[in-house]
Amino acid sequence: MNVYAIQTTDLVKAYGARLALDRFSLAVPTGCILGLVGPNGAGKTTWMMTVAGFLRPKAGKIDLLGEGPFDADVHAGRLTILPQDSDLPLASRPLELLTHFGRLQGLRKQEARQSARKLLETLHLGDRLASPIRTLSHGMRKRVMLAQCFLGYPEVVLLDEPLSGLDPREAAHARTFIASRKLKQTIVISSHDLHDIEQVCTHVAYIEKGRVARFGALRELTRKDTLLRFFLTGDPTDLEALRQACPGSELQYDETRRILACSFDGNAQPPEEINAKLLPAILAQTGLLSIERGDSLEKAYLRDRS
Amino acid sequence: MNFFSKIWRVAAYEWFDAIRSRRAIVILLLYLVTAVLGMNGSISMLEKIETQLVETLQLPESKHTGIVSTVIWKSKPFQRMVKSLTRDELVLKDITGKHPVELIYAWFAFLCAPLLVVLVAANRIPEELGSGAVRYQIFRTSRACWSLGKYMGMALMVACAIGIGALGAYVVAAFRLWMGGDSPNFFLGLLQWGFRAWIYSLAFLGLVMGLSHLTHSPNKATVLGILALVACSVLHVLASIHRYTGRLSEVWVYVERLIPSAYKGELWRFSVPPLATASASLVALGFCYLLLGYAFFRRRDV
Repeated sequence: MNVYAIQTTDLVKAYGARLALDRFSLAVPTGCILGLVGPNGAGKTTWMMTVAGFLRPKAGKIDLLGEGPFDADVHAGRLTILPQDSDLPLASRPLELLTHFGRLQGLRKQEARQSARKLLETLHLGDRLASPIRTLSHGMRKRVMLAQCFLGYPEVVLLDEPLSGLDPREAAHARTFIASRKLKQTIVISSHDLHDIEQVCTHVAYIEKGRVARFGALRELTRKDTLLRFFLTGDPTDLEALRQACPGSELQYDETRRILACSFDGNAQPPEEINAKLLPAILAQTGLLSIERGDSLEKAYLRDRS
Repeated sequence: MNFFSKIWRVAAYEWFDAIRSRRAIVILLLYLVTAVLGMNGSISMLEKIETQLVETLQLPESKHTGIVSTVIWKSKPFQRMVKSLTRDELVLKDITGKHPVELIYAWFAFLCAPLLVVLVAANRIPEELGSGAVRYQIFRTSRACWSLGKYMGMALMVACAIGIGALGAYVVAAFRLWMGGDSPNFFLGLLQWGFRAWIYSLAFLGLVMGLSHLTHSPNKATVLGILALVACSVLHVLASIHRYTGRLSEVWVYVERLIPSAYKGELWRFSVPPLATASASLVALGFCYLLLGYAFFRRRDV
């Protein structure tokens, strides 16, 4: 198995004079769920479309599953994509359309039909299997689009804004569905909703002006293993005593919001150990409302990109 | 799944998806109504002509429509007249003796085939390019399979339209002739002419669908298709004028070979060599036109 499912090196794509991808280099580890985060026009969609072979790059190298750039003869059925702003054929019915897609991928008729039915039912479309696409709501169509990506268990799945337009209940269900594929498939998600990314992804890449501005594991970017925040009920009476309770860590106290932040080396001391040392010292001085591990992705992103 | 299986899969779904669309149903109905009304009107006209001929040529009177025409076919003056119209003695020889209803249907089918192709097929590819629906297929199969599948699917669709038209024309013609006391068996004849019209339509289908790869707009593709038909007609007229005279006469001979309607004359023949050659040429021409459109599509962003 390749270490990287997708490797793009110095990819350049221009629309007229504007560079959408400007020497874009990114290696996606096999089995990870990668979130692409960035402002509008940063190049997230362009990168996905280029990897899927819809767009022709001006320069650069793409290596998909260790077998060169996208080639339908090599990669059909192994890579799928949920493209942004692409309608399904309106006269088609979800079950027959997905069965057709499955068969194009090389599945046998019965296998394709069963896979299509199961996916549609999983995404709560069991009662609309034979309804024309044109009669489905926006959210339902989005779920059909999502279902077609997982037909036949492809190795790489690219999802461009997969949860936009879904109601909160369906969005939560779809998040769980995508997260359940962790380590089984390589999934890349582009989204402006950082909460979605945080819930689902294992890795995150910040994209800006056609380049990767930062790439890393989610836990690393959000400091889940190196930062604890204690939300206190009152000011601690002796901050120095707290520092002595937890040597090797750095404490910062925000008086206005009554938050005590503890930064530490996660490799030397795991968060559980820090918590076990610091918590009795805090409770001896004041009350505690809650504890948070690290930052939210939104906060980490805004801090990083400001 | 191999290349041809994929083409067949795309074609079968394309046909299935097209035939249940409202647009396709409307076009099929329009074509059927035109074939039925055309046949009905032609039989009425034929009856009038026969009545006049019987009076003028003092032929024996017959209640059976088309019978007099059969007699007339055998008369030398009439053959000379048709020869001057067809300008082709071989065609005249081959169609002599055919039931007029068959020939009327053949004329209708050849006349309508190009327009039918534009109405049925011009919008299919641009619709998917415009809506982005193509993106759900071209990572599952190659662009070549997709284009060829679309072409084959539409070829099936045109075959359905021509078949339905032939059936409608036959029902009307059989009913009208049966009312007149005649019961000729020309259904297979109509189907045969329908098949020839289908072969003829394949070249236009390649032309129209090749052009439709160039745009994302179904309306623009339809206009392009109509313009292409007009251009073909104009070129055919110019080629038939200039191929015998002028310094560029040889060029015009070759230009004419690129126009589908140049092969229509051979499709009227019953002798196998010209018919087979024309059929093969039309199919090849259709694929060549499609290939030109595909060559553009192959490199473009979708």
